[in-house]
Amino acid sequence: MSKLARTGVWPGILLAAGILAVCLVLALALGPAPLSVGRIWSLLFAGPVKGDLDNAIFWQIRMPRVLTAALVGAALAVAGVILQDLFLNPLTDPYVTGVSSGAALGATIGIVLHFSNLSATTVLAIIGGLGTLVLVWMAARRRGRIDVFVLLLAGVTISYLASAVVTVLMIKANQDMTQIIYWLMGSFSGRGWPDVTIALITIPFMALPLFFTREMDIMLQGEKRAMELGVEVERNKRMLLVTAGVLTALAVSVSGIIGFVGLVVPHIVRLLVGPGHRGLLPVSLLAGASMMVVADLLSRTVIAPNEIPVGVVTTFVGAPLFVYLLRRGRRA
Amino acid sequence: MPTTRFGRLTAALLLVAVLALGVTALAACGSDSSGATASSSPAASAASGAITVTDDEGNQVTLDKPAARIVSLAPANTEIVYAIGAGDKLVAGTTYDDYPAQAKSLPKVGDFNNPNIEKTASYSPDLVLAAGGIQDKLRTKLESLGMKVYVVDPKTYDGTIASIENVGKLAGAEDGAIQVGDKMTAAQQTVQAAVGDLPKATTFLEIYSKPLMTAGKGTYISDMIGIAGGENIGDQAGTGFPNFSTEVLVKDDPQVYIADSGSMSKPGDIKQRAGFAALTAVKDGHVYVIDDSTIARPGPRLADGLLSLARYIHPEASVSQ
Repeated sequence: MSKLARTGVWPGILLAAGILAVCLVLALALGPAPLSVGRIWSLLFAGPVKGDLDNAIFWQIRMPRVLTAALVGAALAVAGVILQDLFLNPLTDPYVTGVSSGAALGATIGIVLHFSNLSATTVLAIIGGLGTLVLVWMAARRRGRIDVFVLLLAGVTISYLASAVVTVLMIKANQDMTQIIYWLMGSFSGRGWPDVTIALITIPFMALPLFFTREMDIMLQGEKRAMELGVEVERNKRMLLVTAGVLTALAVSVSGIIGFVGLVVPHIVRLLVGPGHRGLLPVSLLAGASMMVVADLLSRTVIAPNEIPVGVVTTFVGAPLFVYLLRRGRRA
Repeated sequence: MPTTRFGRLTAALLLVAVLALGVTALAACGSDSSGATASSSPAASAASGAITVTDDEGNQVTLDKPAARIVSLAPANTEIVYAIGAGDKLVAGTTYDDYPAQAKSLPKVGDFNNPNIEKTASYSPDLVLAAGGIQDKLRTKLESLGMKVYVVDPKTYDGTIASIENVGKLAGAEDGAIQVGDKMTAAQQTVQAAVGDLPKATTFLEIYSKPLMTAGKGTYISDMIGIAGGENIGDQAGTGFPNFSTEVLVKDDPQVYIADSGSMSKPGDIKQRAGFAALTAVKDGHVYVIDDSTIARPGPRLADGLLSLARYIHPEASVSQ
């Protein structure tokens, strides 16, 4: 038991929330278009005003982008925690379920069909992601039970299949190749309020597992033991899988495939607050949001007016931090 | 054992050295006689019409006689060959060759991004017209198979004219090439006469929308925006076709916003994008979509693209055809 677990989870949660607040303020205050702190303060209280360029930069470009990044980061981190624990596999990230590849296929179809309306592509990505979840689910269901190992393998297989179809589409419609590649790389560039609206749907799905932290703790000891201890394993598993799948599908559909956050944030948080879900889930949620917001801030400011793909930044920021914590964790 | 082995090694080395010496001596003797022919051969071939030009990557391309079998690896190159009147020499093109109409029926060697090298070689072309960028690694492979490669990758509008004239020389269609070049120069003069004295209008050219990408400095598109009386906002983002921060775009507030039709953007959608409603270009109604085949293909139709750009950037000036 770590120290935090003994003193309760609230100090950790409050600290993570504080860090997220600082990250949000920084991300809103800094950007490639220089706006002074005083200007931002007045813009914040002015609310969205039409016809003012600074106002448009702050309210129409920066704000929705930062909020989308925060929600996507949080959703991926929560999905990562759930899936790592369900599969009892530390290498699991939200993308192994194949949901992200399905979403990528949906988005690719949208791009290839030239839907001028960009949110149509987002909706197709959600349909692709959730459709894959249903397929994987059907593959893994046997006599009313979900076999997590079959689910894992089915997810990986379907994700290869979807990637193959994406590749074929890319070759067939190679005028759109660049657009598809950029979508796959993931980005928050140009995300507006419609994207925030979609990302907001993740909130109830992020909140749901918070009510099942005790069951999740017990299920860490294996399905058999959990059943002996009176946990309704199948029902919880179903609920958690659908939650993680929906979170991944929504996150991927607005941002593309951004690696590392869903894999590493849960591990980092586990090292800091321990494996108990009452602390792990909320702190991962907040830390995922912070990490994505900071990564996006760096991606749009470091070489402005160009942008670094955000997935590259998450890896550069996350990898050294993770290795440091792993080594420190070993010594302790 | 070691000594014997050493002895054998020395013997082998000696043998190799003697052989090498002999070969060198023979070669030296031979070169005395062949040296004369070698030095006279350029003059001789020049007389018989050897053609040497420098392509857009700075490589010298030499043909003994005008090419008779040309493979084009880009839609722009195909357009050039037809425009200069050498279309009958084209033996193959790429999937998206669609202009002029007869280009569609050309045999294809693959698409622009990934032309098939075997297929290209199978037409035994005496000239391959490649493009820059994505085809960078292709040249070495094609040349190692004995093909002559000319890369069309101009960095300016004038450079495009120069490249077309080079292709004209290689294809034995110099007169046609000069005519095409004159037409392009005429378009440039028309544009300069109409907009030359007008103040520069800040212009953003969108190549893709998600993420936002533009034409940076050192591209012929940026050069054309300048000729058409615009100031290319994308220049500050570096060379090539870089991505571009939406925040900076709004901060710079372009007077004219032009989307390449390849971006699949529609003027209506552009106006509705996050933060775009406040842009001067949107408020003044200066949002346009330009036909990408007149701007994304460095070939004869850039003349049309230049005229369109001038009309979009300076609608107040009357740019005639």
